[in-house]
Amino acid sequence: MTATAMTSVRVDACGQTDIGLRRKVNQDQFVIMKLFKAAEVQQTSVPDPSVFQGLRGPEGWLFIVADGVGGGPGGELASQTAITALVKFLSEAAGCFNNMDTDKEHDVLEQLEAAVHDAHQQIQKEHGGGSAPGARNSPPGPATTLTMAMLVWPRAYVVHVGDSRAFYLRKGRLKQLTRDQTTGEYMMDTGAWTEEQARKAPMGATLASALGGNDMTPSIGLIDLQPGDTLLLCTDGLNRHVPDERITELLGRGGDAASACRELVEAALAGGGQDNVTVVVGRMLPG
Amino acid sequence: MIQKKVCMVGVFGTGKTSLVQRFVHSMFSERYLSTVGVKIERKPLELDGTALTLVLWDLAGRDKHEDITGSYLRGAHAVLYVADGTRKETCDQLPELRALAREFAGDVPGVLALNKSDLTDSWALGRDDEKALEAEWEMVRTSARTGAGVEETFRRLGQATLASKEARP
Repeated sequence: MTATAMTSVRVDACGQTDIGLRRKVNQDQFVIMKLFKAAEVQQTSVPDPSVFQGLRGPEGWLFIVADGVGGGPGGELASQTAITALVKFLSEAAGCFNNMDTDKEHDVLEQLEAAVHDAHQQIQKEHGGGSAPGARNSPPGPATTLTMAMLVWPRAYVVHVGDSRAFYLRKGRLKQLTRDQTTGEYMMDTGAWTEEQARKAPMGATLASALGGNDMTPSIGLIDLQPGDTLLLCTDGLNRHVPDERITELLGRGGDAASACRELVEAALAGGGQDNVTVVVGRMLPG
Repeated sequence: MIQKKVCMVGVFGTGKTSLVQRFVHSMFSERYLSTVGVKIERKPLELDGTALTLVLWDLAGRDKHEDITGSYLRGAHAVLYVADGTRKETCDQLPELRALAREFAGDVPGVLALNKSDLTDSWALGRDDEKALEAEWEMVRTSARTGAGVEETFRRLGQATLASKEARP
């Protein structure tokens, strides 16, 4: 999926999801959306109507990945509900990214955060929520991670809950935009656990925050991208099997977004494929 | 509700994120994880009967690879400059940071947090250094670890945004 977007870049975006080699269902979901201005010229006396073409270009992009928690239908339904509710909410509020300026920017951030809270409540309402996210091996709870990036060139607004991840690659350096919201990370922050203890502890990977769970605390951030950058969103089925160095190498090969997705998923499967894996790649191609 | 955007700028490792964590979440972590891009937190305050929310933009610190992205500062109502009292060079860069902030945010109020005041053994500033800073800046000695000066710093910033002649809605 390629389109000339916003000033001076073309965005080449693609997503791919795979059930992996061990799981019976795929509880991951993703979505890539183009956000358009609504203006469309119906009729004009202007001799050259092409001057209005700029009004119809995509003005933004929305990338989301979600990873349902637990086995059974709960996680699958939770991630589906999250994506559906978010897209619906943001479609209704789509005007929020138009006329972006610094005074309106906090409105956009509030809309994104409100969309996440709306999706959280929707999961609890539809699937009897309020249950703790629980460990990945425990009985399923209707909960899901969510990592979302809204791109209004050059700014990417990132809202994040759980342990899916967002990265960007710039000039061969990969940087992680999100921090995992897990018990292990929390315990390391408080100084109670070392990194090794967090990695080995059975509770280390337990989500400390999830949509549909008891605790849901979105973290919000942003980054100004540059032509040549690559944005990557992924579920933990990628990063548990593919180290950052390998992700850097695969993204740095410079192929299109579709081939980058394919290679990342293949690497996750080659590394064990114990979980569902989902990737969304957006390449900011110089216009 | 009145919302005020406050940008936090400084050299890497001066404790910007730790100050936010202390102020917003009343916690401190010894772990150092460098900020990527901007992290945003909100903190409601009541100042002299006025309710406002500080929207804190915690900007990645300046390092040898990347400078601070000026466009993040646009629309800021105030700037919190953060320096590390155990690394004198983090104070030396303050004039440049202030020039950058003025270029992108205009002449908005600013407060300097001279952070890590609990690390008295490795404190690198003499009395004269601090006097010179105080002559140039509205300065508060802070410690994200102990919490000293943190609340005061952000309340001063909040009051400055309300009092500012350039105050925008």
